[in-house]
Amino acid sequence: MIEVLYKIIQMILFPGFAFIGVLSLLYEWIDRKFYAKLQNRVGPLYAGPHGILQPLADFIKLLSKEDIIPEGADKFLFTLTPIFFFAVNLLLTLLLPICGTSGVISFTGDLIFFVALLTITSILVYTAGVASVNRFATIGAERAVLQFIGYEIPFMLSIVSVVISSGSLTIKNIVESQSNMWYILGPNLLAFAVYVIAVQAELERIPFDIPEAEQEIVAGWLVEYSGKKLALFRLGRDIETLLLCGLGATLFLGGPLGPVIPGLEIILHTLYFTIKSIIILLILTTLKAIFARIRVDQMLVFSWKYLIPLSLISVLIVRVVF
Amino acid sequence: MSFYIPIGPQHPVHPEPLLMKFKVEGEQVIDVEINVSYTHRGIEKGLEYRDYMKGIFLAERICGICNAAHTLCYVQNIEQLLNKEVPPRAKYLRLIVEELSRIHSHLLWLGLAAHQIGFETLFMYVWRDRERVLDLLEMITGNRVVTSYNTIGGVRRNITPEMEQKIRKGLDYLEKRTKYFKKVVMEEPTVLVRTQNVGILKPREAIELFAVGPVLRASSIKHDVRADDPYAAHDEVPFNVITYDTCDVYARILVRIDEVLECINMIRYSLDHLPSGKYRIRLPVVIKPPPGESVSRVEAPRGDLLHYVKSDGSDKPYRYKVRTPTLANIPSTARMLTSRGDYIVYIADIPIIFGSVDPCLCCTGRVMFVDVEKGKSWVWTYNELVKYSRERFERHD
Repeated sequence: MIEVLYKIIQMILFPGFAFIGVLSLLYEWIDRKFYAKLQNRVGPLYAGPHGILQPLADFIKLLSKEDIIPEGADKFLFTLTPIFFFAVNLLLTLLLPICGTSGVISFTGDLIFFVALLTITSILVYTAGVASVNRFATIGAERAVLQFIGYEIPFMLSIVSVVISSGSLTIKNIVESQSNMWYILGPNLLAFAVYVIAVQAELERIPFDIPEAEQEIVAGWLVEYSGKKLALFRLGRDIETLLLCGLGATLFLGGPLGPVIPGLEIILHTLYFTIKSIIILLILTTLKAIFARIRVDQMLVFSWKYLIPLSLISVLIVRVVF
Repeated sequence: MSFYIPIGPQHPVHPEPLLMKFKVEGEQVIDVEINVSYTHRGIEKGLEYRDYMKGIFLAERICGICNAAHTLCYVQNIEQLLNKEVPPRAKYLRLIVEELSRIHSHLLWLGLAAHQIGFETLFMYVWRDRERVLDLLEMITGNRVVTSYNTIGGVRRNITPEMEQKIRKGLDYLEKRTKYFKKVVMEEPTVLVRTQNVGILKPREAIELFAVGPVLRASSIKHDVRADDPYAAHDEVPFNVITYDTCDVYARILVRIDEVLECINMIRYSLDHLPSGKYRIRLPVVIKPPPGESVSRVEAPRGDLLHYVKSDGSDKPYRYKVRTPTLANIPSTARMLTSRGDYIVYIADIPIIFGSVDPCLCCTGRVMFVDVEKGKSWVWTYNELVKYSRERFERHD
């Protein structure tokens, strides 16, 4: 009975949904503030100290806005997609090892489960675009699928490198195998670089914000969404950011591992995990600030000419070393 | 399967009203139809209802950013009608303000171009540094953007030696920053892939379609009103006409950046050689030029600007005609936006190609009725327009 209650608290409060919600909004704030600093702006300023509550304020504001479903849209898919998008991302955070070496849910081969569900979020983007029956949204959805062909393979291959190094498909074992040395310090450095670039594309950030390119197709696949649905998409995207930064920290930077004082394990593990994933987030934000957006055909050429060969080389190197 | 996508009249990067209907197949643009006539403001007619002094302020509002060029063009026309020569100091001061607003316009455009290819950081950097030139304009003229500086018979304000020092300091800063931006544009690979071989306009096409300004010069044609038909002090201040021969968006960016550097040198030269003396000749408040007509041309930041005036001897112009550079550039834009042969336009290239002509659509509205089936076109008179609006008003009542 106590076991079950403990699991439920873990799932709902810490490190589950409530904690993840707060953390993902914090990440959005860090992203916006750091991006603004790189661009010589001030960024969010008014809600809370240094605007730290701005993402929350935006979320609440969107919840209170009018929710419009376009006349020609597929109402069922149009309504369901944002809910799924949010739910899938939220579910996956339970697999992240935040306050210990294993997540709230942990089973053999959970990395495969993780990657498979991440693919679903990409497909939901396409569904969202097609369901809204808008010219811009349709083009955005097409682009999302094209881009998906570009980044998914290097993303998987960079994870394969780590899997080969650790000899396990379970997140718990991968974390524990890094207790001596983080994978980024070894031959997996190349895989880490590929991972970061693929994540940039997965999260649709400059230079790969092609599916929602504001200047070209207004907001791409998101164009018809408003109110609560848009709020869910945005929070889902924030959680996905946390998810992918966290996965990067787990696979390459040793996740929650670090020097521990007995009695404070949970707090210190959480702290290490947060710091490591924020470092990855800052790398992603810097990448966002120093490039222009490329075209979707150029993105595919870049991916198939450079990124995929690089990730294959990385797998080869890792295979030879380990 | 091909379908139409509309860009405008409301679109994030083109806040000005225009409609471009693109026929697309996947990501490729097949055909384009441009409609620029959403705002007809009746400025030409309005000028006929104002006396010559008040006309300056209306001419200034034809375009917000090239206001210095429009007023210059207007006052030159009236001075030609009156057959008055402005003092040499006024000519130099006019040149300084004109070139400062050219720097402003080109930097603003560079920021927008960066925004159009999704390079937000460059956009923010450029617009921060643009503030410096706005400060200079404010110091000289009293206003940040709409300068109200040129007037019939000279300029409104003088430049003092203290101002001169501040202008020089500001110019040094702007020069340093512009060189940095040029380096960024020339070295950043994502900018290069987005701008090179995009929006091609061959020199022959540029001439056939009457392209003007930086667009023409980026197609390697040496044409600049300041050099070909000098006005103000341009016959005394030396400068180079910048041309590039790659004929694409990249060339247009470089032409404008290099022009900013040229402008800085021109202003420095004018400050060094600023003649002393009066900066304005006093004219009567009510100006009644003798009957006649006059044409004046100015190289506005966006290209060749033409004003025509006809006087019947009264205190108001009988006819006023403005040909703005953006209107002249619309046909070449349509050519740039159409795929032909090896040259393919993608949807992603639309904003930057259209943006590369530095469109300013508030001055392009023209009213003309065309019956496509009968091939007939006609223009309404003022009274017909009033009658139509009254009838509509009554119907809705």
